[in-house]
Amino acid sequence: MMNQVNVHRLFLLLFLPGLLSAAEVIRSAVNDATGLRKWHLVEGNLEVELVQRLPDQTRGFFLARGFPAAIADEIAASCIFQTIIRNTGSQAADRAVSVDLAQWRVLHETGEQGIRLKEPWIASWPETAVSEASRLAFQWATFPTRQEFRADDYNWGMTAFGLPPGAVFDLDLVWKEDGEAHTARIAAVECAPDVERLQ
Amino acid sequence: MTAVLPRSLLCCLLLLLAGSPLRAGQGLTPLPGAVPAPDFVLPDTDGKLHRLSDYRGKTVIINFWATWCPPCRDEIPSMNRAWQQLRQEDVVMLAINLGEDEDTIFLFTADYPAEFPLLLDRHGAVIADWPVKGLPTTYIVAPDGSLAYRAIGGRAWDDSEILETLRALQKQR
Repeated sequence: MMNQVNVHRLFLLLFLPGLLSAAEVIRSAVNDATGLRKWHLVEGNLEVELVQRLPDQTRGFFLARGFPAAIADEIAASCIFQTIIRNTGSQAADRAVSVDLAQWRVLHETGEQGIRLKEPWIASWPETAVSEASRLAFQWATFPTRQEFRADDYNWGMTAFGLPPGAVFDLDLVWKEDGEAHTARIAAVECAPDVERLQ
Repeated sequence: MTAVLPRSLLCCLLLLLAGSPLRAGQGLTPLPGAVPAPDFVLPDTDGKLHRLSDYRGKTVIINFWATWCPPCRDEIPSMNRAWQQLRQEDVVMLAINLGEDEDTIFLFTADYPAEFPLLLDRHGAVIADWPVKGLPTTYIVAPDGSLAYRAIGGRAWDDSEILETLRALQKQR
């Protein structure tokens, strides 16, 4: 009897925190090789990963795709994250996840704002300044504003949080699972700093 | 006690799996309604033209990709392995590159060999006609020309379940 009680206590001690956080798992980690940080949220059928991109990394990507330096600089300095969103369901009948980035909110010490969406950004560039090939690269390298994910689907792409390098913010996420609205917050997300601040 | 412990461990294992890092998906989403696949004509890297409707009677895998897209790169080896198994079974694989030129793709295939046709959608005109939001996205076109399955994000295309799904679709013709 004593042994059984001890096993129960051991189980509660070791695994109850895990059980309590099963509905929402948020982790942050640092890539030892690059020093870049990432944030990972799992809740319901939604899995989100935000991976820092250095401004130089983003600048280089868009310069290599024909962007004028001034626009590549502007994109690079807009707090870009590589964003991966996945539906963790594994059966076709599992709940579909719908994401609309226009509903996500960025909470920063200077105030609250939305994510910088690709459509108005592309429309703001004069036709003569950015080539068709460059626009295509931006269109497809950035995360779709609205997307539905069925079981096992995932997508990745850059998202711009519109803050300066090194800024810290909370991110309020909104998504739907079979039409039912869900929310979660990832706290203390950090925009990647400029390279000179890493040295 | 022996009954408690395994259940506890199983529970914890499930929780750990729920929090595991992002992985490649395996499933294909069935598409209802037999919606016709948008037709196209595109050149491959050798200049040969491919018209989708010419492949009527065959199952066609249409993959949209780009060389700079990491999950696109990741799935190319498994696409190659799947192609080796399916090419004799009237299954066609066409990988449509978005916006890049022959030279870029030629250099890319030195590191990522692809034996299936790589088509060039230089101006994004074809992808605009398809319901695609991100790369990679793959559609499976049934032998009757309708959209049968979709995969958003990369897959292990030589997975036995996926191969069986493709073979079953081909047998339905």
